[in-house]
Amino acid sequence: MKAPLSWLKDMVSIEITAEELAARMTMAGLEAEKIEHLGAEWGDKVYVAEVLNVTQHPDADRLVLADIQAGEHRLTVVTGAPNIATGQKVVLALAGARLVDAYADEPGKMKTLKPGKIRGIMSEGMVCSEKELGMSDEHEGILVLPDDAPVGTLLQHYLGDTVIEFEITPNLVHAFSVRGLAGEAGAILNEPVRELAVASMDGVPVQENLVRIDAPQLCSRYIGVIIDGVQVEPSPAWLAGRLAAAGVRPINNLVDITNYVMLEIGQPLHAFDLRNVAGERIIVRTATDGEQMETLDHTMRTFTAADLLITDAEKPVAVAGVMGGVNSEVLDDTTSILLESANFDMVSVRQTGRRLKLRTDALARFERGLDPNLSWNAAMRAVQLVLDVCPDATVRCYADEYPVKKAPINISLPFVKIEKVLGMAIDAATVVNVLSRLGFQPVISGETLSVTVPTNRSDVTLSEDVIEEVARIVGYDNLPATMPIGETPIVERDAMFLLERAVRESLVAAGAFEGRSYVTVSESAQQTFAGVTRESTENHLVRLINPLNDAQPVLRTSLLPRLIDAVAENLKHEKTVRLFEIGHAFFGTTPDELPDEPSHLAFAYAGYREPFNRFAPQVRKLNTEQAAAQELDYFDVKGALEVALERVGATDLTYARSEHPALHPGRTASVKVKGEHIGTIGEVRPDLAKELGVGENRLVVAEIDLARVHQLLGGQAKMQISVDHFLPVEQDFAFLVDKSVPAADVEQALRRNAGPLLTDIVLFDVFEGKQIGADKKSLAYRLTFTAPDRALTDAELEKQRVKIQKGVKALVGGELRA
Amino acid sequence: MSDIQSIRTQALERLEHLSTLEDAQTWEADYLGPKGAVKLFQRSLGSLSAEERPAAGRAANDLSRELTEAFAPILERLQAESLTAGMASDSIDVTLPGRTPTVGAAHPINAMIDELIEIFAHMGFQSVFGPEVETGRYNFDLLNIPADHPARDVWDTMIVQAPNAEIIMRTHTSPMQARTMERMEPPVRVIVPGKAYRFEAQDASHEWQFTQLEGLMVDKDVRLSDLKGVLQEMARQLFGPERKVRFRCDFFPFVEPGVDFSVDCAVCDGKGCRVCKYTGWLEMGGAGMVHPNVLRGVGYDPKVYSGFAFGLGIERIIMMKYGVNDIRAFQANDLRFLERFAAAGA
Ligand SMILES: [Zn+2]
Repeated sequence: MKAPLSWLKDMVSIEITAEELAARMTMAGLEAEKIEHLGAEWGDKVYVAEVLNVTQHPDADRLVLADIQAGEHRLTVVTGAPNIATGQKVVLALAGARLVDAYADEPGKMKTLKPGKIRGIMSEGMVCSEKELGMSDEHEGILVLPDDAPVGTLLQHYLGDTVIEFEITPNLVHAFSVRGLAGEAGAILNEPVRELAVASMDGVPVQENLVRIDAPQLCSRYIGVIIDGVQVEPSPAWLAGRLAAAGVRPINNLVDITNYVMLEIGQPLHAFDLRNVAGERIIVRTATDGEQMETLDHTMRTFTAADLLITDAEKPVAVAGVMGGVNSEVLDDTTSILLESANFDMVSVRQTGRRLKLRTDALARFERGLDPNLSWNAAMRAVQLVLDVCPDATVRCYADEYPVKKAPINISLPFVKIEKVLGMAIDAATVVNVLSRLGFQPVISGETLSVTVPTNRSDVTLSEDVIEEVARIVGYDNLPATMPIGETPIVERDAMFLLERAVRESLVAAGAFEGRSYVTVSESAQQTFAGVTRESTENHLVRLINPLNDAQPVLRTSLLPRLIDAVAENLKHEKTVRLFEIGHAFFGTTPDELPDEPSHLAFAYAGYREPFNRFAPQVRKLNTEQAAAQELDYFDVKGALEVALERVGATDLTYARSEHPALHPGRTASVKVKGEHIGTIGEVRPDLAKELGVGENRLVVAEIDLARVHQLLGGQAKMQISVDHFLPVEQDFAFLVDKSVPAADVEQALRRNAGPLLTDIVLFDVFEGKQIGADKKSLAYRLTFTAPDRALTDAELEKQRVKIQKGVKALVGGELRA
Repeated sequence: MSDIQSIRTQALERLEHLSTLEDAQTWEADYLGPKGAVKLFQRSLGSLSAEERPAAGRAANDLSRELTEAFAPILERLQAESLTAGMASDSIDVTLPGRTPTVGAAHPINAMIDELIEIFAHMGFQSVFGPEVETGRYNFDLLNIPADHPARDVWDTMIVQAPNAEIIMRTHTSPMQARTMERMEPPVRVIVPGKAYRFEAQDASHEWQFTQLEGLMVDKDVRLSDLKGVLQEMARQLFGPERKVRFRCDFFPFVEPGVDFSVDCAVCDGKGCRVCKYTGWLEMGGAGMVHPNVLRGVGYDPKVYSGFAFGLGIERIIMMKYGVNDIRAFQANDLRFLERFAAAGA
């Protein structure tokens, strides 16, 4: 809501600057978003001036020489303005003034005025049009100011204004007007508010059948006033200027007056051309289904029985509280009008506006719940302005249908509650003073504060609301800072959060960076990585009706698509990308129920393992095979995954070769905890990786359902941590097995046969070669044995060695190599 | 006897001239070693007469002791010299770059959430987490935001397809207020970090997917001044002990009185600078006393209990603290951005 300072000052004395006022209003809950100084660009070169004399240009028929004076400045101006005349008050721009270039193609382009010869005669200044002053597009003639314009003053002091734009929070309806803001300013500055000049209906006949309300639950009041003898023409400068300053485009005097009063008082008004109000009467009723009318925006509208219409004896003429109809709009030749000032139900107006996809200034006020007691004052103010602007106008008659008058409510509270809620004591005199300034009627009797709430403060219904009113005027600034009293609850920590944090910490220590992605993905991206953690069918997809990007309407079931995009982007400037993300994935359950939102952990790695520096292999100098060996691969992600999951107690991770359409068939595994599938790890197919923008790099990904991991580990006993004091003994074994035997099986066989003293097992060499046979591989393990209570003897170790040898052979056919 | 004299003379003379550890080892082998001159002499004692033997044996032992004693300091000196020389040849350019361990970084948002969780834990606040897809009931209705009130327009909502239910992306973390109170009895002190979503065009200071931290305290006799105290404590922990919190009146349907809170700018100490747009204050979020309708909605008696709630934007805090000027950086996953926080330690 834009409030010109001059308009506010009509109603309340403001001795502080606009900036100070804006700051104080903001602190009290009326946030000033912007302050604009209109006319500031005119500076000290543009004056209010008088035309002393006009003579014909000696050498040009269409030009005149005007003798202009503004205070000490007196000069001759050559102009072609058709409307210039002796005695006029006009705007004079001196050389150096910054004006809008009226002839430039680019709108609003500025130019600096330079003196110049026009047809041989020196012109030292210019008489300006509205367009040149940036006030409108009017450039037919010069701007002629009212006769009382103060000659010799700078124009910015006469026509300039300061406009404060307020953001009015949706609970407030009383402040959604200049009058309301003036009231707030008055309360804050402790200044009285001056009443506006309004017409009186004394002696004007009431015409009972002018208005009939058939839907009283949706229209609590309707005032109609018939005014004859109006003349439609452009508004006077003061009226047009104020509207323009407030951001409303002037149209004609009658429409402008309705808009002016709406801005001033907050009550939307409408003027009908009486000629087109059939039967010269108004009936307020709900529409019949399918009823139609063309609204002022030249759109044919179709209504339902829920929409409230203003109709005449025959047809709809307006959509109540939203917009008027074309059929009854004020035209240039209108001579009699019916002025409407009414109150419509907030929900009904809002719903109709939604249905018609129409938002208007009127609707924005009605939907907040206007005070029906405002309607009379607004109607009288508008009548007064019509009478001012149209000298021949007369009020013929009026009607005021207001079956149930809205009465003020009363709120009582224990006075001490103010201190209990705020933590700050405010004395009784201050409370009474502040509430009175805001238009409340406070009474303190005994321990009770009783407040009569004015009917325009529909936002104040509870004692808490009253307390806020007091606090915001006294100033939240004065509030002390205290610490809560009372018992501090025991802080329980969320187990899932702790798990996520432990995973995050170990991955950070392992050199990975945590990403954070948008949760929406495209259909195809969703499809590509569907099913990496759990089965995901079409029914499992959660879709947005209004995604920010129409191409990405699906909530992710996998974090991989976005994380892979990030890898591709980063590879443009990085040699190594190790990204992981922890976040929710979304799986639909049943329609109309909330989806399942498990927390997922995803990895996407690509590029070189080591940073490029003096210690790392100089990749540039390596041959292709050597360089390839330096690329991050399946095992880098597998290692990181193990570090992270073992940290949270998932020590019995197992892997089984698996398949996924997006992943390399030879380098993909299902990850299991306690034998249950919790996710997938693998390298993306080279063709797909290329398509996804990572070029020739290996792209390694993994995704784990952390929520499932948490469930599976749930209730598991905490790890026992003890340090063994007897020295560990290391024993190396190399087994020759068929190539097809998974290493995991060999390791499992070792574990089964190594006895209870095994404390660690490391695979330290994998060898394939002709020497051992084309279908064989050699796996070398180092096993560590530790006894908690003794040093191990050679005999013990030898016994175990034999057992392992036999056991592994039996389980996987592995021969112990010498 | 002349033999032993000459061994002694020669040994002592050579000892004088030992200059390297290798020379010393040779000398030691020549005289004191198992095949050294002293040993050989001792072995040759058998060929002497019984009368000569004891004196010669004593002389040999004396010589062995004398040489050993004379040799020890020289050996020690040469060893020290050798060590020094060895280390000298093993010297490096100490200014060469070190071996950098590969270290990653937590996302700055999660690092900040961790920091806030810790700050609030000290004040007895427990962290709770909730769904990002929500019902209209929890996101709006139970927060005193009725369906047909313009207050609902403040949140531009992303809507999930559901044939007969209002299911949306939560527009704030506030739904967890009602979910928490339904689950717990007062006293309640919780914070709720998490993602929230709004249908809003992106620019350097607006994101449609962002992160909030909600706070809620409900107990007997909770005051607005307690809210100020708790937020001030948070601001001091985050931005330094000098920070002040400022409240101004604002409207949020689920609180009354409602507050918009700012912290004085740490960059300029409240004097005004580019970061605070020359106001001296940085807006942090909305807050207020829990609206009686919200308490009633979850079955708390507003006559007995009162409380406060607040919400703040995590991204905004990080932007203030580290001078990040584009909110979109948080979800761009650009390593050049993320790496900065490996050093910052958030
Ligand atoms: Zn600053």
